[in-house]
Amino acid sequence: MSAKSPGPRRRRRLAAVTSLIMAVLLCTLGAAAASADPPADNRACLRCHGMATLAYRDGITGNLIDLSIDPGRLAGSVHGKVACVKCHAQGYRDYPHPQDARREQLDCVGCHREAHERISYPFEAIAGQFAKSIHATGDDPKLRGFGCHSCHDPHAFRVSTVGKPLGEIVMDDNAVCLSCHAQVTDPLSDRHRWLPKREAHWAAVRCIECHTPIAVGGDGAQRVSHQILAGKESNSTCVNCHSGSQRLLSRLYAYRSQEDLARDGLFGKAVFNEAYVVGLSRSPLIDRLSLAFIGVTALGLMAHGLGRYLAYRRSRGKQP
Amino acid sequence: MSAIYLYPGWVRLWHWFSALLFLVLLLSGASMHYAGTPWLLSFKLAVPIHNAAGILLTLGWIGFVVGNLFTDNGRHYRVRWRGLMGRLVAQIRYYGYGIFRGAPHPFKVSAEMKFNVLQQLSYLGAMYLLMPLLILSGWAFLFAVYLPESLFGLGSIWIVAMTHLAVAYGLVLFWMVHIYVITTGETVLTNLRAMLTGWDRESGTGASAGPSESAS
Repeated sequence: MSAKSPGPRRRRRLAAVTSLIMAVLLCTLGAAAASADPPADNRACLRCHGMATLAYRDGITGNLIDLSIDPGRLAGSVHGKVACVKCHAQGYRDYPHPQDARREQLDCVGCHREAHERISYPFEAIAGQFAKSIHATGDDPKLRGFGCHSCHDPHAFRVSTVGKPLGEIVMDDNAVCLSCHAQVTDPLSDRHRWLPKREAHWAAVRCIECHTPIAVGGDGAQRVSHQILAGKESNSTCVNCHSGSQRLLSRLYAYRSQEDLARDGLFGKAVFNEAYVVGLSRSPLIDRLSLAFIGVTALGLMAHGLGRYLAYRRSRGKQP
Repeated sequence: MSAIYLYPGWVRLWHWFSALLFLVLLLSGASMHYAGTPWLLSFKLAVPIHNAAGILLTLGWIGFVVGNLFTDNGRHYRVRWRGLMGRLVAQIRYYGYGIFRGAPHPFKVSAEMKFNVLQQLSYLGAMYLLMPLLILSGWAFLFAVYLPESLFGLGSIWIVAMTHLAVAYGLVLFWMVHIYVITTGETVLTNLRAMLTGWDRESGTGASAGPSESAS
């Protein structure tokens, strides 16, 4: 009997350990499943707004107003974990939605003014730049109500992550501009006729590289201004990008440096620096001046050496 | 015949180590700057060579500064302000005129001071101004991502790149003059030999190309 007694005890222990492992696994899976789900409040909203066909026709303008939100894109966006009523009026908690909820003022900077947000991204500086942008100052009636959401869909917006292929970044960023300005890509359009190799530029360069001021802001966290320029004020001087201030090469180098650091770490970056771009240190003026200086110095030293040699021979000739 | 022990082992080791790195950096730097030139290194090869040599040069320069702080060698870099202008004029007159006429050298190498005033000022400029600028701009280049986007209204990376480029050209000029000046010892090879053996040996006859100077 005593020989059999450890058996059930061992089984109980095994069962206890198995239960513990299962409990931990279930908790982990449960937590993972919970984190993939939208916040509980949002599920209620998405029951209606998740339908692709949810829309109404505006009684005044007659336009069809799309009220649908793609739940998948929302979950993958920077706001995927934010409750709908964190941005939208609290009145939207109730259904039917009260009329006064429609008077809400959606304000990105208002939410992003918290200190930790400002450090990671300068929203207030962006608001200042946008105020000077053609999108804010233009008198085209289509610009009425233009705001952050006109370009950045808050229900789908994702920040570019380091390591994303440059071609994809260019395509995604330009898609924002082209969602309104598609006509500029028309082969018969005159807008970019002056630009050599138009299609190559569009595939490799973001619209904002030329359509924002050359002088960057003093904010270290931001590489490109939100002050979008009118066509006639935009950069159309080739050397501004290709040799003058090397603005584009610098931006490319900065992005590739971030990739290097993320991939190789500090020491790997210091040795291999795969970010380096040919031509980054080019300056025709410094090159010409320095090479001329070096040439003159070399000639001067050779002349000095020759003088010393002749003096030496002369002094040898005088010796008895 | 006089002999002074001017170059202790660590100075000679540092000197030839730096000289080798200087050549490597010059070749690899030119290969990056003038990428595509057929007789230079390939860009992909030049980048890691340049960076590794730059890291070693930094360590060497720190060793040089620390060595000068804690050994007697540092005294050769202390400027004697009294009579500076007079010595400077005399040295320039000698290089520009006297050296061709067999005039006596206005400066005599001693254990207390191995550099004439022109050498001292140019070495001070190279080692304590250009080298720190070169090293700082090189590291700033590598870690430009931590710099602000702009400085004084200009792109930071552009400022760093132009500083590195201009200082590098300045050091190439220094190197050319340095190579030439070491031939102005008692014989063409006197100073080179001194930097190899540590001993500055002179016959005292002032035979060939002007009286002695030290190499570094």
